[in-house]
Amino acid sequence: MTRISAPTRGTGAAARRKGPAATPARSRRYRLRRLAHWAFLLPAGAYVLFAFAIPVVYNLVLSFEQTSPATISHLTAPFAGWSNYTTTLKDPTADSAIVRTFSFTVLSLLFQFLIGFGLALLFNLRFPLRRFARSLILVPWLLPLLVTGVIFKFLFQLEAGAVNQVLVDLHLIHQPVGFVLSPGWAYVTVLITNIWIGVPFFTVLLYSALQDVPPELTEAARIDGAGPWQRLTRVTLPVIRPVIEVVFVLGFVFTVKVFDVVIGLTNGGPANSTQLIATWAYNLSFQNFNYGAGAALSTVLLLIALVAAPLYIWLNRESLRGDAL
Amino acid sequence: MRPATRRRLAAAIASLAALAALVVLLFPLYAVIVASFETNSQLFGASHYSFFPSQFTLSNYRVVLSQQGSHVISSLIIALGTAVLTLAIALPAAHALARYRFRVTALLVASLLIAQILPSIVIANSLFLVYHRLHLLNSYPGLIIADASYAVPFSILVLRAFMLGLPRDVLAAARVDGATEWRAFTRVVLPMSRSAVITVALFAFLNGWGDFIFALTLLNGNTFEPVTLSIYTYVGEFSQNWGEAMALAVFAVLPAAMLLIAAQRYIAAGLTVGSVKGLSIVIGDTSCASSIG
Repeated sequence: MTRISAPTRGTGAAARRKGPAATPARSRRYRLRRLAHWAFLLPAGAYVLFAFAIPVVYNLVLSFEQTSPATISHLTAPFAGWSNYTTTLKDPTADSAIVRTFSFTVLSLLFQFLIGFGLALLFNLRFPLRRFARSLILVPWLLPLLVTGVIFKFLFQLEAGAVNQVLVDLHLIHQPVGFVLSPGWAYVTVLITNIWIGVPFFTVLLYSALQDVPPELTEAARIDGAGPWQRLTRVTLPVIRPVIEVVFVLGFVFTVKVFDVVIGLTNGGPANSTQLIATWAYNLSFQNFNYGAGAALSTVLLLIALVAAPLYIWLNRESLRGDAL
Repeated sequence: MRPATRRRLAAAIASLAALAALVVLLFPLYAVIVASFETNSQLFGASHYSFFPSQFTLSNYRVVLSQQGSHVISSLIIALGTAVLTLAIALPAAHALARYRFRVTALLVASLLIAQILPSIVIANSLFLVYHRLHLLNSYPGLIIADASYAVPFSILVLRAFMLGLPRDVLAAARVDGATEWRAFTRVVLPMSRSAVITVALFAFLNGWGDFIFALTLLNGNTFEPVTLSIYTYVGEFSQNWGEAMALAVFAVLPAAMLLIAAQRYIAAGLTVGSVKGLSIVIGDTSCASSIG
């Protein structure tokens, strides 16, 4: 395969540098070939521009504009300075949505990791039905997130709710609890649902990491007299650390923007007690038709999500280097 | 205790623990299926929840089939459209990024990684106004373009990782034989990437199928609506009617389940090769579930 050293497009400079062999005909062919290479990227380039770059920039522009339902038919509205940010962030509902998004993300990731890692360790043991159980663990992935939210709303309902029934049968509670009806419980309910959604993901990734831990390593530690706890914390965890990092970064990225589950389960209520940044931004834009305010809060969410970007890119550094043949 | 007995005991305990975990993870699906066969008086306002109801009815399915058929079709159109659009964009791009040298390759890959991070609400917020101007609201093309945003960056990265692993000599041979870039791509690269292509297509399909946020923001429900949106309006408008909502939920899961089972062996292959090459693969996440956690 011809190796092309300098990808200069259109000028033929690279071809000329190649010396006497680079006749005009040859450089034309080279240029055509080079053009074809870029043509392969064209659809993706256009798409990224339209579906990612323009929306992000436009969202930023909107967040500095004085929008109203009347300005919807124009792409631009009067400049508003920082007022969308100051008014939105002064609003207690937005404030608590931001704080809640943080606590929700931290608690979700913590429990997803603990449960997921526990299950991964379990599946790493030898027991009958292990393979069967492991394949079934992925079944929750089949549910669209909104549908999961709606299903859990059904399971957590006050009267004839399955969760209440189990708790009453176990004598853990005397009276059914209005899980999605009271503000404090609604948050816990959304949290539990989100943990349920994320556990299979954590389990599968951590399990595959455990599979890659060389058995000689733990065996050597055992011979050296390390107990199970020591083998876990001193050998296994350090070895699978790269995967743990990936799981947490991805988990963070996916959890800060949670939307469907909340809408399906509580719609942000009762009394906005389960609003997260994404759902409140949606409310501002699409329920109150205050696109500027919604854009401002969306930008805040974007900045929070982008905190993970350097880390995410660093974890994928191999794929940046991956060379053409 | 003898070692053998101890090992057997440990295996038994592990089995029980795994069983308990499965019950918790799978119970919601069981509950949905059971509820879809129950009457509403059994499900709402009843004095207690029954895990093994004694009476079953098909009336929920009768209602859902007569009223929701068009929504299932809409979801199929959206999901198929998303898969086709994603492949049309991602395949050539992945090929170029794997095969040709660009000075900007690292930059392009980094921007795809960032694109994966962008919250959909940011995109939805702007696209709503842009679409309003372009008259793309309430249209299949508009929604499909938006839905592809879940899958396009992921697909390019996975396909590229896969294509980087293809043997060089086969492609070199195609070159020597005088094949054009396009022919080498369609005749050599695509057939060899089959399992990765199927994985990615399925991922895109499930994302289009499970999308809610773009359907909620870019459609007003008067022209067409996918199943996710219709479940949402169902539970909102007639929040008492759990039986029908659950029958509809079964329809929201079925196609995904059937597809996943049918394509299972390709997915395993596609993901294994992918994961050797780059960690980006693992985002093959909660699929329909556009996002994990």
